[in-house]
Amino acid sequence: MSGCACSEHAVPPALERVEVVANDRVASGVGLVVLHAPRTAETVRSGQFVHVRLAHGTSFILRRPFSVHRVRGERIEILYQVLGTGTRTLAEREAGDEMDLIGPLGHGWEIPPGIAHALLVAGGLGVAPLGMLAEELAARGVAVTVATGAPNKERLLVRDLFEGVARRVEIATDDGSCGTRGFVTGVCENLLADEALDVVYTCGPESMQRIVAAQAAGAGVPCQVSLERLMACGIGACLSCVVRTSQGLKRACVDGPVFDAAVVLWDLTEIPAKQ
Amino acid sequence: MSGRVSHTVDMSVKLGELTLRTPVLTASGTFASGREFADFIDLERLGAVVTKGVSLEPWEGSPSPRIAETPSGMLNSIGLQNPGVEAFCEDDLAWLSSVDVPVIVNVSGHTVLEYVSVIERLEVEPRVDAYEINISCPNVDSGGMAFGTACTPAEEVTRACRAATSRPLIVKLSPNVTDIAEIARAVVASGADGVSLINTLLGMAIDIRTFRPKLARIVGGLSGPAIKPVALRMVWQVAGAVDVPVIGMGGITDTEDAVEFMLAGATAISVGTANFVDPTTVMRVTDGLAEFCRTRSIARVSNLTGAMRT
Repeated sequence: MSGCACSEHAVPPALERVEVVANDRVASGVGLVVLHAPRTAETVRSGQFVHVRLAHGTSFILRRPFSVHRVRGERIEILYQVLGTGTRTLAEREAGDEMDLIGPLGHGWEIPPGIAHALLVAGGLGVAPLGMLAEELAARGVAVTVATGAPNKERLLVRDLFEGVARRVEIATDDGSCGTRGFVTGVCENLLADEALDVVYTCGPESMQRIVAAQAAGAGVPCQVSLERLMACGIGACLSCVVRTSQGLKRACVDGPVFDAAVVLWDLTEIPAKQ
Repeated sequence: MSGRVSHTVDMSVKLGELTLRTPVLTASGTFASGREFADFIDLERLGAVVTKGVSLEPWEGSPSPRIAETPSGMLNSIGLQNPGVEAFCEDDLAWLSSVDVPVIVNVSGHTVLEYVSVIERLEVEPRVDAYEINISCPNVDSGGMAFGTACTPAEEVTRACRAATSRPLIVKLSPNVTDIAEIARAVVASGADGVSLINTLLGMAIDIRTFRPKLARIVGGLSGPAIKPVALRMVWQVAGAVDVPVIGMGGITDTEDAVEFMLAGATAISVGTANFVDPTTVMRVTDGLAEFCRTRSIARVSNLTGAMRT
């Protein structure tokens, strides 16, 4: 979405010392950490991320990128799934612990002027960058419809947030324990047929985002995707996190993580490893 | 220079004819051309910016995944993705023209002719202060490390580059050799004004859940604190074997690491992977080196070079 006026007003990233306010398990293997991060809270835009330093020894060295899920005053919230060394370390952090992050980083969601109705499609932890977006859209008077999917009811995330701001929330679970049985892409297909939509925003497994992008394209609705890549620096220098697009290789950290789905050359050989 | 650096410590070092304000440089490929770091540090306090590798034509680099974290370090197989020398001049050098810092351009190629062609294009650019010839990248199929693991090709590329420029010529050495001192002597005999080392160590990692390599290219270069002892040993060996300045690097994260490399014989040092972890590392190390010297009444940081006692 290069060329949009919004990105030109983005605030430069900075190193910020932050303090853990709370860190709770919200579902099996999923945590929500609340950080006192005044500068980031004031400057972050929906869809941007922070690059968090979790270790200060040398056992593992790289930062970990996390979407900002929501902002509350001087605090930011991060939803994370415990998958590897970094997120296990994050899960052990307690209120009062300090760490540092670099943020806000990346190119977030674009909200085109004049839109009336947006569809947000989330798969699993893909809800993370969509929370702040749902709130922002609602605050701007844009009607929000949400399709969200999970393996089962217990692993369905942030349903309350979506139900608080969306006009309509459709749920899909693999086992049918909540909402429609099946994948969220099935729900998405029906919503694209049912509703008059101006834009689709999606985040989740790349295979899912690819299907949602194709469905939106078929319905003639512009679609934005939020892509995950392994990342070292997070500021555009290392070229670890490249995404193949029709405009050449782009960096997920500064040109993304949000991309116009129309330019992404989907490449399923990229399998995000555990972090 | 910042007021934090004491007036009583002379931080300048000489790389041949090039005088640098400090001995702290950026390792090629970890700092782009510096623009991405301008939000975090004062680039003008660096000894020099060593740019990402530049080739004659644009290079796509390797498929993804391109990195994997390993104990105390990381593997990468970026594959020298770069937009080519023309775009480098138009974008990176143009941007650097407003920054008062020496620029050392890292030059890459598949063939000797490509290295020479890149230098020829850069010779007309006044913003270039020196070249670092990359004969040690493990992530390209031809060229790169193939030139740096035997004396004859290393001599050939060094001689050809030497003939193309009178600017300072630094050759970046590969650690993936049996005797790095032998390669260092060969490139110095062929006209190198300095050597830099080490590039990454060839390594690999496998995901045991999927049975797949963690890097799409299967093998890649290991960097970070994990390689520091190996790098330090090689800097010491090379500094004892040649009489040109040595730029030491490999896992430097803090002041103590930088001092060790200088004591082992390095004239200057480069920070690499640590730039990814803390973008202010080069400033911390610069301040730390000045403080180290000040508290020990060492008048010049260059006095540390080769000062290890045995």
